[in-house]
Amino acid sequence: MEVAALKLKLKEQIIEYLNLMDLKPEDITDEEPLFGPNLGLDSIDSIELIVLLEREYGLKIKNPADGRKILVDVNHIADYIIENTKV
Amino acid sequence: MYIKKVVCISPQDTIKDNFPQTGIIEFDALQCPAIEPDYAGLIPRGLLRRMGKAIRMGVGAGLPLLTGNKDIEGIIIGTANGGLEDCIKFLNQIVKYNEGTLTPTNFVQSTPNSLGGTLALMGQNSGYNVTHVNKGLSFESALMDAQMLIEAGDAKTLLVGCIEEISTYNTNIYTMDGFLKKEALLSSELLNSETKGTINGEGATMFVVDQNGENALARIIDTGQITHPNHEDLLECLNALLRRNQLEMSDLDAVLLGYNGDQSTDHWYKQLSHSFDEGTGLYSYKNLVGDFPTVSGFALFLVLKLIELGEIPKEMILKGSNRSLGKVLIYNHHRGVQHGFILVESLA
Repeated sequence: MEVAALKLKLKEQIIEYLNLMDLKPEDITDEEPLFGPNLGLDSIDSIELIVLLEREYGLKIKNPADGRKILVDVNHIADYIIENTKV
Repeated sequence: MYIKKVVCISPQDTIKDNFPQTGIIEFDALQCPAIEPDYAGLIPRGLLRRMGKAIRMGVGAGLPLLTGNKDIEGIIIGTANGGLEDCIKFLNQIVKYNEGTLTPTNFVQSTPNSLGGTLALMGQNSGYNVTHVNKGLSFESALMDAQMLIEAGDAKTLLVGCIEEISTYNTNIYTMDGFLKKEALLSSELLNSETKGTINGEGATMFVVDQNGENALARIIDTGQITHPNHEDLLECLNALLRRNQLEMSDLDAVLLGYNGDQSTDHWYKQLSHSFDEGTGLYSYKNLVGDFPTVSGFALFLVLKLIELGEIPKEMILKGSNRSLGKVLIYNHHRGVQHGFILVESLA
């Protein structure tokens, strides 16, 4: 899968998993901080994102410290998926 | 116990202060979905997107009362199913993902007492917090709990309410077990239908109840309930309720009966209505919102509105009366098994 296609799919999945129904994929930029003031995600959302990665990509984040480095923005999550799977 | 304030979200436009003068909405389907208010300004966006419909409606009805009445000492909720949509989603996830990592949101929303907890957190109320999950008598049980607390002097002011939501799952289950009709029909035709089953409804109704009658809307005289009765048991339950409040059948000015158009269980209402005084007005309410286990909360809201306005929509009239609404009885049963009475008195 191309990187751009992966990022688009990831945005659609973030919207679905976090029930951000008033947003469209194009409203989320690749480098926008997920836990910043715009999207306003919180700690429960971080668990939802961990579940997303496990269910959709078979990736388990076991160390919470890793999660802080991965769940930064769409770019970081996409890089993590590419590095750890054969997309 | 006196009712000071009420907010109701239902399939009718009950959010508007001038309901039912706004007119009665007619439905032509097997479901009567609730008309929800705009929650912006009441529920933060981040919380709202996680809430299922039952929780959303319950917060929408209960939070304004909670934040507007700092004297409220506790929260008592009645619900048969709570947030059933999220509950079944969560249970399905357990199976689908083989008891692996589960999403927290569905879990948080999946228990019947989620609303009580959410209201307590959002309204910063750390008092008594109980949810009664007793199917078709959940709301009557919540009212009885509140009345006992107030009469025992353990509380002065409480938030009491009920919620129920239409979900894919309860619609499927209710259809399969015959609780819902197979054919869609106009709600105006519901009570005269000659088939089994009813139509599905939902809503949230919240009341501020108080030991003090000053500026109250009405007084809850008493509640009664009985399970698996025969007709004689039911009549004796009602007579006992009246006797312990020094009342007779002839004292009832109006009775709201829970006719739901199900030919297999509406005989309970018809049979009991023979016992009422000739001058007692008989009125329906499920043809306005459909049927659901805590629909008697909507009926109580309706009584308060009718007392306030002094007139009754023609859609509700089964047998008219020229008596003013002084003492009003609400009689509801759930599937012919659980039967509840709520006795209300106007303070006008």
